[in-house]
Amino acid sequence: MRSLALMRVLGVLVAGALAALTLAACNRGGDSAAAKPVVALVVKTLNNPFFIEMEAGAREVADSLGYELLVQAPEREIDVERQMQIVENLIQRRVSVLALVPNGSRELVPAVVKANGADIPVVIVDTRLDAATLSAAGGRIATFVGSDNVDGGRLAGRFLVEALPSGGQIAVLEGIPGHETGDARLTGFREALASAPSLRIVASQTANWERDQAFTVTQNLLQAHPDLEALFACNDVMALGAVEAIAAAGRTDRIRVVGFDAQDDAQQAIREGRMAATIAQNPRAMGRLAVLSAARLLAGDTLPAEQPVPISLVK
Amino acid sequence: MRWWRRRETGTMVGLLLLCVALFIATPYFATVDNLRNVAEQSTVIGTLAIGMTFVIIAGGIDLSVGSVVALSGVVLAMTLRAGTGAAIAVALALLVGAATGAVNGALVTIGRLPPFIATLGTMSVARGLALLLADGRPISGFPDGLRALATARWFGLPVSVMVMLGLFAIAQLVLTRTVLGRFTFAIGGNAEAARLAGIPVRGYTTGTYVIAGVSAALCATLLLARLNSAQPIAGIGYELDAIAAVVIGGTSLLGGSGSVLGTLLGALLMSVLRNGLNLLGVSSYIQQIAIGTVIVSAVLVDMALQRRLRHTPS
Amino acid sequence: MPSTVGTTTPATTPRLQMRGVRKAFPGVVALDGVDLEVRAGEVHVLLGENGAGKSTLINVLGGALRPDAGAIALNGETVAFSSPRDARARGIAIVHQELALVPALSVAENLLLGAPPARAGFVQRAQLHAEAAAALTVLDPSIDVRQPVSALRLGQQQLVEIARAMRGHPAVLVLDEPTSALTPHEVTRLFDGIRRLTASGTSVIYISHRMDEIAVIGDRITVLRDGRHVTTVPAHPLQHEQLVRWMANRDDVAGDAAADPMPATAEASRVVHRDPRVTPSAGATSRLRVHALSRRGALYDISFSADAGEIVGFAGLLGAGRTELARALFGVDRLDAGEVFVDGLRVHCTHPGDAIRAGFGFVTEDRKGDGLLLMRSVRENIALPLLRSLARFGVVPRPSETTLAEDAVRDLRIRTPSVQQSVLALSGGNQQKVVLAKWLATGARILLLDEPTRGIDVAAKAEIHALIRSLAARGVTVLLFSSELPELLTLADRTLVLRGGRLVGDVARADSSAERLLALAVGAVDAETHAGSAA
Repeated sequence: MRSLALMRVLGVLVAGALAALTLAACNRGGDSAAAKPVVALVVKTLNNPFFIEMEAGAREVADSLGYELLVQAPEREIDVERQMQIVENLIQRRVSVLALVPNGSRELVPAVVKANGADIPVVIVDTRLDAATLSAAGGRIATFVGSDNVDGGRLAGRFLVEALPSGGQIAVLEGIPGHETGDARLTGFREALASAPSLRIVASQTANWERDQAFTVTQNLLQAHPDLEALFACNDVMALGAVEAIAAAGRTDRIRVVGFDAQDDAQQAIREGRMAATIAQNPRAMGRLAVLSAARLLAGDTLPAEQPVPISLVK
Repeated sequence: MRWWRRRETGTMVGLLLLCVALFIATPYFATVDNLRNVAEQSTVIGTLAIGMTFVIIAGGIDLSVGSVVALSGVVLAMTLRAGTGAAIAVALALLVGAATGAVNGALVTIGRLPPFIATLGTMSVARGLALLLADGRPISGFPDGLRALATARWFGLPVSVMVMLGLFAIAQLVLTRTVLGRFTFAIGGNAEAARLAGIPVRGYTTGTYVIAGVSAALCATLLLARLNSAQPIAGIGYELDAIAAVVIGGTSLLGGSGSVLGTLLGALLMSVLRNGLNLLGVSSYIQQIAIGTVIVSAVLVDMALQRRLRHTPS
Repeated sequence: MPSTVGTTTPATTPRLQMRGVRKAFPGVVALDGVDLEVRAGEVHVLLGENGAGKSTLINVLGGALRPDAGAIALNGETVAFSSPRDARARGIAIVHQELALVPALSVAENLLLGAPPARAGFVQRAQLHAEAAAALTVLDPSIDVRQPVSALRLGQQQLVEIARAMRGHPAVLVLDEPTSALTPHEVTRLFDGIRRLTASGTSVIYISHRMDEIAVIGDRITVLRDGRHVTTVPAHPLQHEQLVRWMANRDDVAGDAAADPMPATAEASRVVHRDPRVTPSAGATSRLRVHALSRRGALYDISFSADAGEIVGFAGLLGAGRTELARALFGVDRLDAGEVFVDGLRVHCTHPGDAIRAGFGFVTEDRKGDGLLLMRSVRENIALPLLRSLARFGVVPRPSETTLAEDAVRDLRIRTPSVQQSVLALSGGNQQKVVLAKWLATGARILLLDEPTRGIDVAAKAEIHALIRSLAARGVTVLLFSSELPELLTLADRTLVLRGGRLVGDVARADSSAERLLALAVGAVDAETHAGSAA
């Protein structure tokens, strides 16, 4: 009977501790308190090529500067609590600078406040924090690196206005409600459409930034709106899902799809004629700029509150 | 049973050894601040797993708890925003949790649906209701009162941790000492024998689902305090984490045995593991593999244990 | 009916020889150097208490366990089985007590499980059914091999399992309690099948506690005790008392042949003196009165009464309604019509809780299936129905529970190291005592016992019989539902016979005999009632 408790110990220990130990061995590299500056980049999820591009850009600069770069993210963009935990843990890790792409524009404010309390400068990337909540909580960030999503939305809207001079029905795929990026893009898009009353948005549903959800939602929208002429998805991941659904329904020629992010797959789709256009945000540049900002912060500079990264239309 | 033979001891030792390993691997683990964080991070799944423990011991399973977290969270948030006092708002959220639990219980006992299917259904329905009520958007901006759960400290620990520990203590007492607890074990061990002994099996089974629903509502309260917002999409996947905590803690998925103490250790173990992997900068993908491995080994050991027990010569 | 011994040639090497077999588990030595020798074509009975090592020995023989020491020789050739499959391939077939049939598959598919006749991967249905029917001709040709096994009665399922093992013409066939669910008619057919098998050379190892069967089918008997071989004797003449003495290792066995099934011995007349105040008397208000109970498809117009301190037996074939009656009285199944009176007051039991409150206790026929919480302790099992009444504000005080359990353990002489011991580790007899203790603790005054000594070794059976008698002496009304006629004959003051859901006989002890009861049960004679049992 003694062996039963021992077996438990073995079972639980082997997996957990061994995982930690072996990976620790891999990860160590002369890790002592202040040898190399450590920059932490916490993105929304690593399941989105957008953020993988961002990581690549960040790593370029980090390597050239000799910084250590830690990239962490929750499994899904919807997991706000998990991202908060990651930030808390990295604060414990005493990183030198925290670069964060928040999963919740309001929800991550407490985490930023904790970073402030630990004297870790915070760089917000791509998705803004809600200003009111931030100031109410007494938090502060060093700088914001990102594109003007409103402008990007406008670009997308203008493209469709030009592409459909005689007007038509448009469907919209939204991101996770409450995400500032999605909201901003929608705002810009609607603004641009205001100048062309013949273009009507007949449906606006969320697919939570996810490809398979976008597929299903688009399939349903196609059923409900047989005369659809265009679709705007707030990011390429969703746009590609929509493209698949449209192809499955055999309406590729009749519906123009506009995405956002200019991912490789999207650009390929545009070349092949399956997609009409996308907005290039240049996540790689964002990543580079984020780490560069970190470097400047560590050198003692103050940074402008906003560092826009230019966007362009790709068609 | 001698203490060194209990299942919880194994998990406890595993947890301690993990801590020792992390202590060696990184200097950032064993600081007061970090340990406090870990404790706080475990409250979300920990609270949820209390109710799940009851359900699993009684031989069932509840997949809907993640959605109930969202639903009761949304109800809590809307009530708070409408200006009601925190106490009433929390009570209402608990009621919502209890109601979903009652529905689950009815489906399982009267409807005779397998718990897996019944709670799969309520999982969808509750999620839909949450999205409907909140119109798909997160609700935020609450008066400070409730937030104190996350921000305030008692004896150096965040209030949420104290609340969680208190809930665990109560649950442990209920499971081991009260009629409700004993009947839960009996029903999970042999529902027919329990029925023949005069136990109202249907009523007590429903009771466990109600407890799970209330746990989910409590979890939603803690989440709201921590994030200062209630999202209708919150809690997706939480039911699996809760089940993992229960299973790692030594409760058998077949029902009839287990403890809430083990669940607490299981939840802590998962938090420590995640925390450690974050501190070590391990890629998120590997983190997922690590957690999965721990769960599988815990269940493997559990199954092997059951087989050993069945084979004792009689 | 002496058994026809097959081709037993003592001069040749024995079919099976197990020598010095040892097997130890952590904490217990199950086999301590056991010898067993079985001749070709003989029916060799293996006798022993639970815990004597029979199951372990069979598991070693069947390849499921590897012996720590010792040798097994088949037809003189030493063998070592690496797995059950290996043993099967060598000609060892074992039919365990627990059926290993697949309920959803048909009888034919089960009979040829693992090797259905097939061509290019497709199963040949016609051939499958033909072979299956052939395999069943001796044991039970009435079974339709196309129906799913789950549709068969337990007894028929048992026969299917046995037929499956016999089909392979094994060198050694082991039958573990094969008749527990068989009707006497089926038992006869089984014995026919066994005789045919032994005539063709198969050796049969027969494990059973039923002395009357052993007398009919056995050639030799080996007694095991505490993992050791005690003796091997011819089955004729059957020395009952001596065999029991060899098997039991305790001096306080309640009477030598307390489990003696032969009604003609002194045991039957060893009536425990009862308190005259609770002697069954026709005039007083009966403890239990049942009137016109009916349940569609199971019970028809059943009426009887039972007094305090009376042991009323219920006999009948499988499916006659014994268990159904017990379940209906206990509120497990619903009654369509009829009334039940306890101490003159009408009771309406729709739920076991009602029955418990009315003073009933129900020891089911499957203690592991629905009588016990196997993973929990003795204490928890005994206290289960009483938890709510023991509790203060919902909390159960441990000391009162422990005292309750300890008293019960002492009272019923349950053999367990402590009340915290898990019941899984107890022997069958002690497990059954725990079940009894559970009901006695509730103060049950009407005990429904459904096959109370099934799967229990001879010595424990004697203890339980003595227990039942002493309970009756204390004034408890015992309704004993049993398929073992000898048991009914020994214990019951009167025996009611059920057939097809109806009461067809009420026979007083003095007039009872196995033949009489059996005749009523199968319908060989018409229904008759004892004069004094007016309902």
